Amino acid sequence: MRADGAAGVSAERELIAFADAAVGRRADLAARRDAVRAVLGEEATLDAAAVIAGFDAITRVADATGIPLEAPKAEATADWRAALGIDSFRSAKV
Amino acid sequence: MRSGLAEALARADLALARSGVWWNAAERAAIVRETAAAAHCPLCARRRAAPIPQAVEGEHLSATDLPTAAIEAIHRIATDSGRLSRAWYRRTIESGLAEEAYVELVSVVALATARATFARALDRPLAEIRPADSREPSRRRPAGAKSGLGWMPMLAPEDVAPEDPPLYMTGNRIGGNVHRALSLVPEAMMQFWDVFEELYLPQAAMRDFGREYRAIDHAQIEMLAARVAVLNACEY
Repeated sequence: MRADGAAGVSAERELIAFADAAVGRRADLAARRDAVRAVLGEEATLDAAAVIAGFDAITRVADATGIPLEAPKAEATADWRAALGIDSFRSAKV
Repeated sequence: MRSGLAEALARADLALARSGVWWNAAERAAIVRETAAAAHCPLCARRRAAPIPQAVEGEHLSATDLPTAAIEAIHRIATDSGRLSRAWYRRTIESGLAEEAYVELVSVVALATARATFARALDRPLAEIRPADSREPSRRRPAGAKSGLGWMPMLAPEDVAPEDPPLYMTGNRIGGNVHRALSLVPEAMMQFWDVFEELYLPQAAMRDFGREYRAIDHAQIEMLAARVAVLNACEY
């Protein structure tokens, strides 16, 4: 991650805003979709929507079945999971 | 739209419309309708806003005559999956939902969520799922399923019997925990992954960084995946 908080991924601002609007059912979804389309084109917009849809689904599979993160993955990602606050998701469960 | 994606979405619609292993076609179509209804449920909205969701009592705004335990499971998975717990799962099962039926329900909710999110993201119409057959579910459970990994028994690759569907062979799935999640109902697992791997990437493409398989690159795909996981508070 860069000092300005960006990840350095092409069109990341537009893609993140698209994901936020689509998953969050926000009123600015059409504008966020158009922004991705303007920067990356129609096929990329379709594939971005597909990834968003796929992970909106698979997160529910993971969380509704109680599967643990594999130990090697947990170890390899421990630092950035803590930095991003991901560890708090599990502790928030009651 | 690339043909593989269009075909996968069509297969998802067909899978949702057909009888499953634990729910018949009419019931699966009802689960799809109930998944959509959950987005407009006042009880779910109040629970999402509450620090402890189960402390908020009430009745779901239901669109179907599915059993109460199924409606509770569908609504919570659809609206607040990141705060589900083993205790909630046990209560749901003890209130009258068989574990296998729950697993197939999860797969139907997940497929319904995928097609709905895709349609919403692109402002495309979403066809209603209508029951496509009147077949009775076989209610077959894989004999090798074992407890210990997640909340319910799961079928490890080494425990797959010849009479079981080839749930890991198809797509060269490695049998990671997320692959095993739905394995108590192998057909449900295969239906979900058949669609998911086209929405995202097949197993072999995930770490093949020398080639791009989509109109967005690996970095863009993984960034979107991580963002959606965070939005849904998914620890996995």
